[in-house]
Amino acid sequence: MYSLSWLILFLPMAGFLTLSWSGKRFPKLTGGWFASAMVGGAFLVTLLMLAQLYAESPADRLNHVQTLYPWVVSEGFSLNLSILIDPLSVFMLLVVTGVGFLIHVYSIGYMHHDKEFTRFFAYLNLFIFSMSLLVLAADFFFLIVGWALVGLASYLLIGFWTDRKTAVLAARKAFVMNVIGDVGMVIAAFMIFEHFGTLNYVEVFKAAPTAFFPNDDNVLLITLLLLVGAFAKSAQLPLHTWLPDAMEGPTPVSALIHAATMVTAGVYLVARCNALYMMAPFTMYLIASVGVITAIFAGSVGMVQYDIKRVIAYSTMSQIGFMFLAVGVGVFSIGMFHLMTHAFFKALLFLAAGSVIHGMSDEQDIRKMGGLRYAMPVTFITFLIGSLALAGFPLTAGFFSKEEIVMSAYSAQYGNIVFWGLAIIAVGMTGFYTFRLFFYTFMGQSRTPEAHPHESPSVMTVPLMVLAALSLVGGLLGPWVHDFLSPVFGGATLGHHDDTMMEIVAVAAALGGIITAVAIYMTGKDQLAFAKQMLAPIYEALYNKYYVDEIYDFLIVKPVKGIGKFLEERAEKQGIDFSVDQVGKQVREVSRGISIWQSGKVRIYALNMVAGMVTILLFVIFL
Amino acid sequence: MGAEFVLFVSAAVFSIGALGFVVRKNPLVMFMSVELMLNAVNFLLVGYSNFLNSLDGQIFALIIMTVAAAEVVVGLAIILTIFRTRHELDADHIDVLKG
Amino acid sequence: MMEFLDQLLSFNLDRETVFGLFEQSIVFIIGMTAILASLGVVLCATPIYSALYLIGNMVCLAMLFLMFNAEFLAAVQVVVYAGAVMILFLFIIALLGAKKEGREFSFQNFMGLSFVGLLFCELLMAMMVGKTRPVEGKVTPEVIQQVGSAKAIGIELFSNHIVPFELASLLLLVAAVGIISLAKFTYKPMRKRTRT
Repeated sequence: MYSLSWLILFLPMAGFLTLSWSGKRFPKLTGGWFASAMVGGAFLVTLLMLAQLYAESPADRLNHVQTLYPWVVSEGFSLNLSILIDPLSVFMLLVVTGVGFLIHVYSIGYMHHDKEFTRFFAYLNLFIFSMSLLVLAADFFFLIVGWALVGLASYLLIGFWTDRKTAVLAARKAFVMNVIGDVGMVIAAFMIFEHFGTLNYVEVFKAAPTAFFPNDDNVLLITLLLLVGAFAKSAQLPLHTWLPDAMEGPTPVSALIHAATMVTAGVYLVARCNALYMMAPFTMYLIASVGVITAIFAGSVGMVQYDIKRVIAYSTMSQIGFMFLAVGVGVFSIGMFHLMTHAFFKALLFLAAGSVIHGMSDEQDIRKMGGLRYAMPVTFITFLIGSLALAGFPLTAGFFSKEEIVMSAYSAQYGNIVFWGLAIIAVGMTGFYTFRLFFYTFMGQSRTPEAHPHESPSVMTVPLMVLAALSLVGGLLGPWVHDFLSPVFGGATLGHHDDTMMEIVAVAAALGGIITAVAIYMTGKDQLAFAKQMLAPIYEALYNKYYVDEIYDFLIVKPVKGIGKFLEERAEKQGIDFSVDQVGKQVREVSRGISIWQSGKVRIYALNMVAGMVTILLFVIFL
Repeated sequence: MGAEFVLFVSAAVFSIGALGFVVRKNPLVMFMSVELMLNAVNFLLVGYSNFLNSLDGQIFALIIMTVAAAEVVVGLAIILTIFRTRHELDADHIDVLKG
Repeated sequence: MMEFLDQLLSFNLDRETVFGLFEQSIVFIIGMTAILASLGVVLCATPIYSALYLIGNMVCLAMLFLMFNAEFLAAVQVVVYAGAVMILFLFIIALLGAKKEGREFSFQNFMGLSFVGLLFCELLMAMMVGKTRPVEGKVTPEVIQQVGSAKAIGIELFSNHIVPFELASLLLLVAAVGIISLAKFTYKPMRKRTRT
């Protein structure tokens, strides 16, 4: 059973190594298809794992640990490279490798003209490997390894176009932000080791309920430190600033890493550690609060941005906020369900946006687009489907998952009416910014007549269609997801809360957002100008993303730079450099004094030898 | 004449050899002093080989002679080469390795 | 030395004692001559006298070897040392010109003298330790006389000490190669390298 699971890790790694060693010797398109085949193979193996899980009864599906390689074996501590197969990891892997495969195929078309085609695919394979390691890890150590490796892959891919200064700076920012999270994770891992004597998931989670009281200081600290990592990776407040900047990378990267998979790793982490988090209700409240606040914050900023990818990036933050809200109020399976549907429609939106950018010859400003529905029909329809799903239009995938989150925000274990109200606002915002983007891009007349947009090749549109189909019907998977995952989350049943009124309000909020967008952007310019004038101060704040970057710059970057400058002047030049110089100088002086002994005269050496002989004989005789 | 006499003679010759090596400036004489020291040791070995009823000392002395012959030959060749380039012989003036 | 004096004082003079006394006094005289010759090596200002004194010293030592039942080594000493090596020395001295060495009393000489004096005293003190190893060898003077010194050494050399013997031959080969290369490739004084 599960004996092929190592292939999930091996295939992308083999792809990465092959591509990076072969370099440009690989024929261009072959490299792309090879990388895609590797990820496709991993997806097939994951499907096999799924089938094997189904061969067992639900209670037996947990804790299948495959040890691949015993790495550190010592008294009281052992570390194996082992794989944990259970419904949660397989579910997550289905999303990672499935969506990853589609995006690989899409990238073959999107990156077709790039000179460093092979390098791009090598990095993509590295990312898939790292993400699989993160998901499959059976202990906190390899979780952190995978966690850091996805950060590395993200860094490499954001800064893929190394000749763009903004891209390199954005990559650095993302890396630094992620490292802040990594530090938190590492400290949490140390604390876990201190309390449990092991890093193994199975043992830790088994011991957790008896090891701590609810809201015990230690468990609070562990969960909060883990949360630092989760928030940094998932771009939640206040560590969110890297995600919009990360859009400098190629669009498939944004779709794969910064929408579908990596940024949702935080949600996965909380779901994976549910045994710990259930011991810390305080942390759960914090997760839910941060999630819902991020949802509103990012949604409001997304309403006024003009860069097509940035809008979707803020939307991603907002949707991840929803996921955190779900896991925060204690309905982990619904959070994972939203993770899946979000992966579908957000990857779809990004890829469609990439198709638009491709067709518009690398133009990202939506003010210069418009009227693309005739030029790019496939992209138009798939983007519409994605927008509907994102906005939560009834009967699309997003409708089911988001509706359940909004309802759980009130009815679940840790839910309350405030979460519900804030979630409703965020849902309204989602509808508004999604369709604002849609109208700007596809409806109306073209704002740049000189551009000649064209439809993308089929290697790009086919993944779009597949994802569009998944976005439409993915919502039907909800009950299945819940049943499948429930063993991992302690077999909790979904306490469905039937409140027709609240559901209607939620749907109305989504539709209201859409209708507002229609009212402002489809009926003429006057309303737009009027709205802008009315809300000028708010608009400014939103357009500048609440000045968070500026605040960080003022609070952290400037003081650090000032300290650095001071230290450079005082400590570096006058302290360290001076002392180092003096060491060299003094050594030279002393050695000049000592070098008298090296006279080069044989007789003096012989005399010294005789003196040594005399001394040794003294010892021999008298001692 | 017992072992003390052998020890005394070889110690004296050895010390005189060492003194010669340290005091004299002519490399040739310094070499001769080295020969003196080696001979002193040889004498000690042969004498004790007699007292201890063992031939090991004599074998050892034989090999020391071989080494000394080789050393003298190479050393004299080097002195000759030095003289060819410097046209003088004074151990104190050969201090190219001065630090 | 003390027993020699004791016997001299006891006037117990039978034939063997007289021969023994004669032999011991010869050994004594030769040993003292060797020391004096070595002093001559160090103290003579002219290298040629030093070389001659060294020959004298070696011949004295060869005679002592004879007294200590090492006839073969005595022969080797005379032939190799006093013959070949010292002739080489004399050739070199003849080639380079024997310049007289000026005497001066320097601090270094004083230090050398005092240290070597100390060394000598310490060696004499080391004599007082006495025998450290019991006599256990089987090759007594009688056996050597029976077999012959050269044969005994040959048997010993080619049976128990074959490896050092071969290594010594290798050493001689290396020395020969070294001398040939020293003589053949003329030494050029090092110059500062200039760019061409």
